[in-house]
Amino acid sequence: MSAVYPLSEAGAAGDLRDRLVAGADVALADLTPWPRFGLKGAGAEAWFADRVDLPEVNRVTEGAGLRVLRLGTRDIMVLSTDAEGSPVQPLRSAWEAAPQSYSSWREETWAWLRLTGPKATAVARRLTAFDLRAAAFGESDIAQTRFAHQDGVLLRTGDGFDVLFDIASTAKVVTDIRAAIDREEVFG
Amino acid sequence: MKLLTCPMNGPRNISEFQYLGPVRLSPNPEAASDADWAGYLFGAPNDRDFQREFWRHTPSNYVFVAERHIGTGEVRRTYDPGEME
Repeated sequence: MSAVYPLSEAGAAGDLRDRLVAGADVALADLTPWPRFGLKGAGAEAWFADRVDLPEVNRVTEGAGLRVLRLGTRDIMVLSTDAEGSPVQPLRSAWEAAPQSYSSWREETWAWLRLTGPKATAVARRLTAFDLRAAAFGESDIAQTRFAHQDGVLLRTGDGFDVLFDIASTAKVVTDIRAAIDREEVFG
Repeated sequence: MKLLTCPMNGPRNISEFQYLGPVRLSPNPEAASDADWAGYLFGAPNDRDFQREFWRHTPSNYVFVAERHIGTGEVRRTYDPGEME
C-alpha cells in the first residue's frame, strides 16, 4: 500500500470533480490536498508562539505563505496559502522531530472547500444562519458554525470563503452548495 | 429559534449545542457514606430552580457551563468551566 494521504489525488470531492464550479460569478474549488498542520492540547500554544504570529481565539493571521487559525485556546491549525505549501513542511518536520501536544491537522477527516466570486456571499447566505455581514464577520474572523447542515469552520478568503468540515460529508456539502448556486442563478 | 450564548463563539442557534447534563461533582469514594454514594450514582437533582449544566458547542467542540432555570429555560449566565467555583 502506498501512503494513506492524500486519500484521493482529486481531493475530498473525488468523483464529484465535475460538480465543482469555475464560473465568473462564483467558483467552488476543492483544496483538501493542500498542505496543512495543526496541534491541540496542553503545550500547543507555547509550541506555536515561538514560530508563528498567533492570533486570538476565532481569528486568523496570515503571512509568509501560511494562514494560522486559532480554533480554541489550545487548538491551532495552519493552512497553506498555495498548493505547494513549502512553509508548512518545516513546521511539520520540527514537530515530528520532537512531538508534543496532539496532531490536529485533520488531513484525513476535514475536507477543505473554497467558494469565491462576486456572488459567493449570496450563495453562502443560503447555507448558514450565521450573520455573514462584514460588521458581524470581519476579514480575520473565524465562524465555527453550521454550514450546509454540517458543523464547519468558516473563514473569509478574498471575496469568498473557505470552509472546513467532515470529509465523509463532502458529497452532500458539494451537492448543497451546487443547489445554492443554482438557486442564486435562478432567483438571485 | 432559541439562542444560547457560547462564551467562546457568542450567541448561536440552540441547534448548534448539545446538552451534557447537570454539573455534579463526585464525592470522595473513600470518604463518602453508602447513602451519599448511592445518591450520587442514582439520584438526580430536580429542584425547580437554576442549575449548573454542561453544554457543548458542537462545531467548535467547546464545553462550557450554563446556569439555566429548569422550569422556565431562562439562561442567566454562561462561562468557561475554568471559572467554576
